[in-house]
Amino acid sequence: MKIDLANPAWQQTLPPARSLATDAPVAACAFNRDGTTVAFALGDGCIRLLPADVKAAAPDAAVPLHKGVVLSIVGDPAGDGFVSGGDDGRVLRIAADGTATELLAQKGKWFEHLVAHKTGAVAASAGKSMFLLRDGEVREFGPHPSTVAGLDFSKDGSRVACAHYGGITVWSLSKDVTLPPRRFAWQGSHVALRWSTDGKFIATGTQENDIHVWRVAQATDMRMQGYPAKVKSLSWTADARYLYTSSQPVFTAWPFAGKGPEGKPPLQFGDEGAGLMTVVAAHPSAEFVAGGYDSGELQLGDIRTRRSVVLKMADGAAITCLAWSPDGFKLAVGNDRGDLLTIDLRR
Amino acid sequence: MATPQTSAQVPVTVLTGYLGAGKTTLLNRILSEQHGKKYAVIVNEFGELGVDNDLVVNADEEVFEMNNGCICCTVRGDLIRIIEGLMKRKDKFDGILVETTGLADPGPVAQTFFTDEDVKARTRLDAIVTVIDAKHFFGQLEQGAEAEQQVAFADVILLNKTDLVSADELAKVEDRIRGINRYARIFHTQNSQIALDAILDKGAFDLGRILEFEPDFLHSGHDHHHEDEVRSLSITADRPVDPDKFQKWMGALLQIKGGDIFRSKGILAIDGAPRRYVYQGVHMMMDSDWGTPWKDGEKRSSKLVFIGRSLDGDNLQRGFDDCLK
Repeated sequence: MKIDLANPAWQQTLPPARSLATDAPVAACAFNRDGTTVAFALGDGCIRLLPADVKAAAPDAAVPLHKGVVLSIVGDPAGDGFVSGGDDGRVLRIAADGTATELLAQKGKWFEHLVAHKTGAVAASAGKSMFLLRDGEVREFGPHPSTVAGLDFSKDGSRVACAHYGGITVWSLSKDVTLPPRRFAWQGSHVALRWSTDGKFIATGTQENDIHVWRVAQATDMRMQGYPAKVKSLSWTADARYLYTSSQPVFTAWPFAGKGPEGKPPLQFGDEGAGLMTVVAAHPSAEFVAGGYDSGELQLGDIRTRRSVVLKMADGAAITCLAWSPDGFKLAVGNDRGDLLTIDLRR
Repeated sequence: MATPQTSAQVPVTVLTGYLGAGKTTLLNRILSEQHGKKYAVIVNEFGELGVDNDLVVNADEEVFEMNNGCICCTVRGDLIRIIEGLMKRKDKFDGILVETTGLADPGPVAQTFFTDEDVKARTRLDAIVTVIDAKHFFGQLEQGAEAEQQVAFADVILLNKTDLVSADELAKVEDRIRGINRYARIFHTQNSQIALDAILDKGAFDLGRILEFEPDFLHSGHDHHHEDEVRSLSITADRPVDPDKFQKWMGALLQIKGGDIFRSKGILAIDGAPRRYVYQGVHMMMDSDWGTPWKDGEKRSSKLVFIGRSLDGDNLQRGFDDCLK
């Protein structure tokens, strides 16, 4: 991807975008597998499907598919549409035309977290359980010591790690051999989890405003402190050289290449003064990163040049979610006021 | 319809009480009455409520210790998560009601509202309401520390099922409650029947309204105490307070006795300050601020209130006296 943030055009005009206003907070957003459609999960039960092409006309408003809040959404790894989870205790498969079929129902539970793997599997968490949806089957894993507060697939999709109180649990998903789960303990409540893109590390954010990272093979761990708030957004770069973390005024990347981040400060760059970063999303293939702030500002950074540009001005509505298109040219952005933004970085 | 709260913090009412005391009846009453308000309800047993309400959320009472070296700092992880989830709703609501299990210690619920920044930004703890079964209260006191703790934490007490006891028995129960906590408001009820404004929107944790919660001076309760008993007491002073000395004393007191002190609040006449200094706390956690200014010629006196176990009033008074100018 060739984007030069030193080009003065970035400072002068914002890139082409489509912004739609709704009146429900956006909980999550995602692109579908081929990057043609973007979906926004809303606080009124609706899922708004829009063409990824920012110049294409937006279809009429969606009807509610969930009763309550759509808490999570991912591109369907086994189809053209999406998979969503709601506080109505349901996981739905949403076809590209917007029709929904129920994949899973757990009365009284909230499906807060969903992750997808390119092999076609989806993992969902509700309460103390993790559910694996693969090849038309549902398998339940758990119970965990507390409600699962974050989960992710390993690089090859053979395992899922779940964050909870007291540490994390790694499940082997193989149907042929039943392996006991591996437990990595660290006192306290773990509230977010991301498995590194090379499969070697698992990072969590904790209730005590720290980051905790485990080396999976060695089962050794490290802790990074000094955040002013809980780190709920973690994002590994495509090459797994850096872990980006939210809850700082600038882009904050811990270096994991070579001997790892122990004893080193994180790399920090970007414009201060935009508030605290609420969501961070590393580019799916290149050296770029997008960061959304509690002020509503959105920045795009380049870790090679340490440059950053503003993609959206602060407007008082905190950014709640970010998603890159698979080709890395488009960025979906949602905020807590209900604005649905899609940006095309090809200017 | 009342205007739903949008930007302001949503008030949270915590409902405690032993199993069978009448919490579910009270919740059903709140949800079914025509008050034009919308409440989200966090319950521990799904399906017990008779009212169909899509804002009823099932909680698991996930109590955990904060990993911050403070041993009595326990919070409710499920509450943090649920409140965050509720705030993603398009439809806002006027308040949140949290029902705890019959054997729950109200401490972790209350401490959640002192500890978690996200919860603090969006909600405020309004009051702890405890429902008591007049007939079985004495028996429940024998069964464990919970019944006593629930009374000790309460801002409002519904002394319920009064139709099942004699006037004499009722007086004894009330006397015992007053012995534990003489700062709570007590209402006698049958079938948890109570005017909602008696329990909702009380501002019991509002530093600006601390003065409103004065003890019931008419009470003539017995003053015989066992050493490990839970009780409430207040200490006063007419001389101005030295802020540095007070901070040191209170800090040390909470460090050592924080586990035993369930609730504390106070109004201080700080030496040379034109305004009252107000604080309130749960165990070791504390909130404080400057309150209303002293009027000209007004008598500037300080008052501290403690509710807790094994409190030594003389010792506390001596410690406080050492903080005075």
